[in-house]
Amino acid sequence: MKINKNREEAIKRAVETLEKRGLVIYPTETCYGIGADATNEKAVEKLLKYKKKRQGKPISIAVKDKEMAKKYVELNEIAENIYDNYLPGPITVVSKSKGKVAKKVEAEDGTLGIRIPNYDLVLDIIKNFGRPITATSANASYKKTPYSLQDVVSNISKRQEELVDLFLDAGKLPKNKPSTVINTILNEAKVLREGDVKLNLPKVVYTNSERETRRLAKEIMKNSVIGKKPLVFALQGELGVGKTQFAKGIAEFLKIKDVLISPTFVLVREYKFTRGKEELTLFHIDAYRLFEQKELESLGFKKMLEKPNIIVIEWAEKVTNLLKENLNNIELIWVKLSYCGAKKRKIEYSRFLIWENQKFKLKGSE
Amino acid sequence: MKILAIDTSCDETCAAVCFNDRVISNIIFSQIELHAKWRGVVPIIAKRAHQERIWPVIEMAIKRANTDLEKIDAIAVTIGPGLAIALEVGIKTAVEISKRYEKPLILVNHMEGHIYSNFAKNKKGKPLNLTKNILIPNLCLLISGGHTEIILMKNHGDFELIGKTLDDAVGEAFDKVARPLMLGYPGGPVIEEFAKKGKEDRFQFPKLMQRRNDFNFSYSGLKTASVLLIEKLKTEYKEDFHKVLPDFCASFQKAVVDSLIYKVKKAVQKYKVGQLLVGGGVAANNYIRKMIRRDIKKLGVKVTFPNKKLCTDNAAMIGVAAYYKAKRKEFVKNMKNIDRIPNLEIGQKIS
Repeated sequence: MKINKNREEAIKRAVETLEKRGLVIYPTETCYGIGADATNEKAVEKLLKYKKKRQGKPISIAVKDKEMAKKYVELNEIAENIYDNYLPGPITVVSKSKGKVAKKVEAEDGTLGIRIPNYDLVLDIIKNFGRPITATSANASYKKTPYSLQDVVSNISKRQEELVDLFLDAGKLPKNKPSTVINTILNEAKVLREGDVKLNLPKVVYTNSERETRRLAKEIMKNSVIGKKPLVFALQGELGVGKTQFAKGIAEFLKIKDVLISPTFVLVREYKFTRGKEELTLFHIDAYRLFEQKELESLGFKKMLEKPNIIVIEWAEKVTNLLKENLNNIELIWVKLSYCGAKKRKIEYSRFLIWENQKFKLKGSE
Repeated sequence: MKILAIDTSCDETCAAVCFNDRVISNIIFSQIELHAKWRGVVPIIAKRAHQERIWPVIEMAIKRANTDLEKIDAIAVTIGPGLAIALEVGIKTAVEISKRYEKPLILVNHMEGHIYSNFAKNKKGKPLNLTKNILIPNLCLLISGGHTEIILMKNHGDFELIGKTLDDAVGEAFDKVARPLMLGYPGGPVIEEFAKKGKEDRFQFPKLMQRRNDFNFSYSGLKTASVLLIEKLKTEYKEDFHKVLPDFCASFQKAVVDSLIYKVKKAVQKYKVGQLLVGGGVAANNYIRKMIRRDIKKLGVKVTFPNKKLCTDNAAMIGVAAYYKAKRKEFVKNMKNIDRIPNLEIGQKIS
């Protein structure tokens, strides 16, 4: 059935089908998926018949939120972090199963992959159904990823087609990659399959002195592309935590001879450096006293972006919105420094995340 | 020579009329109240306030000096260092007046102004700080919101920077430490006030930069130590935190002053000068004045502070500095392309 006109009806019929242990093909933000009651052995048996050749390979399930996930898996610190920061979204998080789903859904090692699709229709179906549904793609194993019902139908046999009880048709979906799969069992995020979500958690480094903080900045510079796009370091952290030290490390890497000093009084200080034949500038900005964009714009932020300059912004969380607007034109590295004692610092950084509403979020996600 | 001087380098809109090195009128329109809510200068507000006030302030300076623009001999204006968009307001106005009334223009380094605040005299030619003879060469210690510098003054107009802060300026250190204490802006005067009732040996702070053999300063270690100590005291004292505040402020202030004195002593001995000139907003702090005077005098070196009214930003000091520049005929030759220099250093040529 087409769902754009009668959404309520679609939800109702999907729930009915799932209750009868039937199979539902549904759209998600990645591709079409096929759903069965993940807690019912018979329903899952039917799904496996549809998928074919799938010995031992686990099937991930979709839930409506973190609370629901907690009923079925054990969430450790890393998993909690991913749920809080990136879900709903195209990520499957593998955790230890509590054994409350159908046997064949779990992996042989007792783990279970869970997804919260960023697709309201699916979330509503699960909410009304009250149990998780399978979240495998709607193709038979080893066949093409389906982005339209045509993709599904043209790659399955008549017998398979007859197993499907309901098709929810949302037309052609954008060709997004399948979800990124992250194993969190060892309390560290291990990417098993990479989708559109590239790096999911900030890197964490501990430093024990100002010198080590500067050295880390140099290390990050070494692994950055300089001279292509403006490179922006968004530095965040309390007073005295070492933001200026980090900026000094960047200046040292660029072989800037001038002493880099606090920009608080003049708000922005400039230091020249050369890359190849091009003369570029390191801008060191203190955003503590800025009100959002008008202020940073009046300091000439747009002009700073005209060349592949390097821009270091302290108290960057004050200008998150302006940075978000410019994501396409800049290479952004977010660096969060926090106290762990008199000398020790925790430094989290990422090229893929920004800090917003008190947490790390994927760049470009809403 | 009658000079109209203008300074809009930061958060005060200033104009003054000087006759040679005598201050005839000196108008300061403070914006501190406008910025207090934000605990620091906000550039957009500063720019707007400067634009609204610059003409009334100039008119008042002219009127108080019982003169008019026709009778002025030269216009002086601060070209840097300072807040770029604030500097622009003063420069634009000065250029306009200079063109309209066909008066020569003099560009002044704001830090040079702070040094010359020690040379200012009153209407009758009496030194405002009661110091009759200033020895040259001498050393200058400039301490303000944006600067902490030791400068060797070899002659009028001939300066060499021999030491400066590697991170925060003294004023910045005060303002930043006032933030977690919720003491408002500017932090310096409030901390000084609390410190009066406190015990300065109650808390120990790290000795700043004493291992290094240069004349540079650093306040990052002090800032970190302060933040950690404040946190500790807050958990320890909870709602009684205010009781320990005076001791904290006194100990903090002492740590700052100790670091200043340590470096100044070394510099005075190395350069063998007979006099120290202090300047900048932080030089208005009584405790700092007392301690520097006491410790440096012991070395047989004369210590001179500007009149308190001339410590914080003002245009009179710009006028006095401009008078010495005028004596050397340092007037602007090309009125085109005059641009603010927010990072201007002392001794740097102004083209």
